[in-house]
Amino acid sequence: MSLANALRLLLQSGSRRLGELEFKSIDLNDRFIICHWKDTACAAQEEFGGLEMYVDPSAARDLSTYAEDGSYRFIKGQVNLKRGWVMVLESAEDLRMALDLFYPAAIGLVVAWRNGTLEVENLRDKLQRQTGMYRIARTIRDDVSQRVVREVCGPSNQCAKRILWQIEANTPLDDSEASRYLGIPEDLQENEAVPLLCREACNHFVAECCRAVKTGGV
Amino acid sequence: MPFVQKPHSALLIVGHGSTENPDSSTPYFDHAGEIRRRNVFAEVHCCFWKEEPSMREALYMIDSEEVYVVPDFISEGYFTQDVIPRELQLTGPTSRVRGKTLHYCLPVGVHASMTGLILRRAKEVAPNVNPAETTLIITGHGTGLNQNSAKAIRDQVNLIAASGTGYAAVLDAYMEERPLIADWDQMAPTPNVIVVPFFISDGLHSYQDIPVLLGIESEVGSAASQREAFRQNPHHHRGKTLFYTSSIGTERLLADVILDQISDFDKANKPL
Repeated sequence: MSLANALRLLLQSGSRRLGELEFKSIDLNDRFIICHWKDTACAAQEEFGGLEMYVDPSAARDLSTYAEDGSYRFIKGQVNLKRGWVMVLESAEDLRMALDLFYPAAIGLVVAWRNGTLEVENLRDKLQRQTGMYRIARTIRDDVSQRVVREVCGPSNQCAKRILWQIEANTPLDDSEASRYLGIPEDLQENEAVPLLCREACNHFVAECCRAVKTGGV
Repeated sequence: MPFVQKPHSALLIVGHGSTENPDSSTPYFDHAGEIRRRNVFAEVHCCFWKEEPSMREALYMIDSEEVYVVPDFISEGYFTQDVIPRELQLTGPTSRVRGKTLHYCLPVGVHASMTGLILRRAKEVAPNVNPAETTLIITGHGTGLNQNSAKAIRDQVNLIAASGTGYAAVLDAYMEERPLIADWDQMAPTPNVIVVPFFISDGLHSYQDIPVLLGIESEVGSAASQREAFRQNPHHHRGKTLFYTSSIGTERLLADVILDQISDFDKANKPL
């Protein structure tokens, strides 16, 4: 099944939220809209309540590069997507393309996860592959890496992703808000939200591991 | 030779990306957008070493069974020969990975058709200069960071010099090895000089470091999206007229070089 069709099925099952995005079908002609979830009421008004309208899915890249305060969103799971826009898309494929620019591979990862074919990468495996100035991250102690998870991951640290990985195969994450987060906002039912999945530690996490090692975390 | 369309295959462009410079990945998306516009693949995607999607995530966003992978890098080296094959779990020119067939092509920077892009960029930035009174300098890192980038630049210099385009001199120069780009005015025998950075993305090197070495910026400033160095051409400096372009990778038609690398892959690995 194509990812566009998988996305149609997700919509039919009630899914409408992905990260900070609200998305839905607007008619029977395979047209869809995306907006920031906080702009949903505005987007339901006539002329989308004055939200700036985009029809090209590639616009999603510019909309997601900078936060409201102008800072660079180098990690896509950050909870600081800017508001004030709406995307009106002419096909499920365009919807998928836009969603993949906001949250790269998010739909494909969920489909694989639910099919049982997602390969998760534990932290040690990720760190062993780091090069150059990031190589030092390989030497981080387990307890320090657990601390980095608590300090860097999860909604309270501005990341909307559900962590699937462990420190290594036999070392699960310590209990924390980050490790407990299932990727579903509190105000939604499980079928209403597509969770953002973290199948491997991100570049920001790796950089924080380097910083922790340099301050004595080997 | 026109590109043979692949309506059932995917193209995956691999780039470096950056956690600090938002402009770093722009060229890759521009190249992908240009190829997507031509409708020659079923789908076109980008993935990165230091941005999302990572190389390990990329296959999850591809529907097609057959995938052409093109490193959008200016030279062969550690990334194209070690990092990318390891991250994509490649086993050779063609690999089976997660139920898909991946064809791994050479990086864009080593293809002969980069020459046309460099000449086009030089012509764009200095359309009215007489080539017989102009030196074209291609500049890059040099040793210390990537020895192969110097080889890629020297190869392009040789190709351009042999192509009869009429420039009085075509030279290579580097940030960190001789001949040094800082000596541009001494190495150029002509009153006009065009400098083309041989990078995929604009960033610290093209926005800051090279302008400082050229002497057209007096000090290092902040990194994000500083395009002023490219907007004020020509620069009258050190007794010469200097034209400074943005990195060669920002040329949207680098998309043609991506397609050329795919055609070359097919010629070498999939005989009719």
